Amino acid sequence: MILSAPVRAAVDVVPAVAPRMDFTPLPAGTYSLPTIQTVGDAVLLDEHAQPVHLRTVTAGKITLLTFFYTYCVDPLGCPFVRDTLTMLRDRILADPPMAANVRFVGITCDPLNDTPQVLSEYGASFASGGPFEWRFLTAKNVPALLPVLEDLGQDVSVDIDARGHPTRALHHMLKVFLIDPKGRVREIYSLAFIQPEVILNDIRTLHLESSARKKGGIPRDRYASQADALKR
Amino acid sequence: MRRSLVCLSLMVSLYVCLAATTAIADETCNSPYISNLIKGQEGFVHVWTLGVEGLGDGSDKLVTIDADPSSKTYGKVINSLSVGGRGEAHHMGFTDDRKYLWAGGLEDSKIYVFDVGTDPAKPRLIRTITDLPAKTTYVGPHTFYALPGRMLIGNLSNSIDKGGVTGLALYNNKGTLIAHYAMPTTTLGGVKGDGYGYDVAVNPAKNVLLTSSFAGYQNYMRNLGHLIKDSEAMKHFGATMVVWNLKSMQPSQVLSVPGAPLEIRWSLVPGQNWAITAAALTSKLWLIKPSEGGMWSAKEVGTIGDPTKIPLPVDISITADGRGLWVNTFMDGTTHYFDISDPEHPKEAYTKHTGSQVNMISQSWDGKRIYITSSLLANWDKTGADNQQFLRVFNWDGHELTQAFELDFLKEKLGRPHHMKFTARTYGSQSLAALAR
Repeated sequence: MILSAPVRAAVDVVPAVAPRMDFTPLPAGTYSLPTIQTVGDAVLLDEHAQPVHLRTVTAGKITLLTFFYTYCVDPLGCPFVRDTLTMLRDRILADPPMAANVRFVGITCDPLNDTPQVLSEYGASFASGGPFEWRFLTAKNVPALLPVLEDLGQDVSVDIDARGHPTRALHHMLKVFLIDPKGRVREIYSLAFIQPEVILNDIRTLHLESSARKKGGIPRDRYASQADALKR
Repeated sequence: MRRSLVCLSLMVSLYVCLAATTAIADETCNSPYISNLIKGQEGFVHVWTLGVEGLGDGSDKLVTIDADPSSKTYGKVINSLSVGGRGEAHHMGFTDDRKYLWAGGLEDSKIYVFDVGTDPAKPRLIRTITDLPAKTTYVGPHTFYALPGRMLIGNLSNSIDKGGVTGLALYNNKGTLIAHYAMPTTTLGGVKGDGYGYDVAVNPAKNVLLTSSFAGYQNYMRNLGHLIKDSEAMKHFGATMVVWNLKSMQPSQVLSVPGAPLEIRWSLVPGQNWAITAAALTSKLWLIKPSEGGMWSAKEVGTIGDPTKIPLPVDISITADGRGLWVNTFMDGTTHYFDISDPEHPKEAYTKHTGSQVNMISQSWDGKRIYITSSLLANWDKTGADNQQFLRVFNWDGHELTQAFELDFLKEKLGRPHHMKFTARTYGSQSLAALAR
């Protein structure tokens, strides 16, 4: 825990500005979402302190996954995402077949504070009841969490006090990951892209895709090589 | 320019969960999606530098300079990281988390990924991506523009005929190609696409990606004096910009912008949905803004210097409040400041001769410091005594540029300095991974 230097903020965050949406989103199913990456596996802990393979909650359904911590108070940080997801859940529940094919997963950045019990109480405050699957995960310790952060490119830093000791002030870049039933990340939303109507249409697009796949029709991959255009 | 070109719009994006500081910071030309923008004084400037045969090790290199006036090594080279070859080093871009710099070579199409997050004073080369031509047929990776979890690359040419027809490549942050998209060659919105590419810049509030157009390998790798005398070759420069639907990555409209429109800068003011660019060959400023019926318009709004003398505007840098624009013109070595508080009518408010040849220009977020480098392209730079190769840093008080320091890249045996990026010393925070160790 080094950190000698005096606190002299040369780096700071830009003031968060609420995302704007000055356009009509494309209808669901009229566009494709390319695979950005797959999600690796790891063993985390659920609200009941039971081990959970990350793979089991990032595959089989369309998943919105985000990193958070329960005591975050940034109005355009974790609480903003939580409120957005709550609203999205309500919209998704209006479509029962799709709702059965969607889950939300929140992984804490602070496993030391956000224990299974804390997550259980936190989740109960706004995600309780109903058929919708909304999971909250922690890790047994920071080293167990780091591979997940690394895999998904989720940098987390901790403010250090004048004596070089870590504080409870965490910084992490806000990202929400849209993952398809095969465990592939198909979209990532940072703050400027937290546009609920767009996210909803992206979920619908993946739902249409998985429905078509079940019926035997695989959507055309519009991201196939475009070298032909040059050759023409 | 700080980022090469692109500057862009909204600053926002990123960010963090905690702290709702009112800090405003950093360069004005980064992708708006990166985190940890610099609030105050930048600590380091990283310069992507072209190697020169017979000068030092002759290799392209990332040169790191101490930019903190309170430091004992202020204005000095504190690190030089050679990549082991010469490939026409050109532009760079941060990843969304600002931990890594992607830097490209226009000749060899290699992409180098530097870790500047662990210790910005000592960047490390962690990855070299070499599959761009084979997987896309595109060559000449130019603009590196961060999107969440991925890097959008605007290219200049193709490996088939090395002309200007090219496309965009999208990689994830791990360096794996996700997709690629051809620049349009069909007619969209009444204008035929030329297929050329250069800069990319995104406005998420409008779900729009803008691209501009320059020239292919056959032109940008050729001696400038010979090129200018070749009337046929001079026909092969971009004359269009393209409006893309960002979500679908489909081009929706081609705009006619003759004269090789280069850097694109969206206004950084939330709610202002216009962008500005400079056309190199015609020395004109163009404004791109929403039009009727969901379409976009491109309008010539200003003149840079005397177009009959072909001053060749190269890099531009917009102020954080969207009211000012710096422009470097290469041929006459002049730095211009335009008042663009009315973007329909830019007014040239200040000029200064800043070198025998000047290319890139970057400003700090607060607008108080201006960084300039000299090199355009290895075969386009001037020769003889006019081949000055430098980084010059100026203070700007709103009326006059006053030089703060200068580094002679020839005397230092470094090469031709091109694109610049800023990082900051880290005070008061540490990564979770480092703490766990």
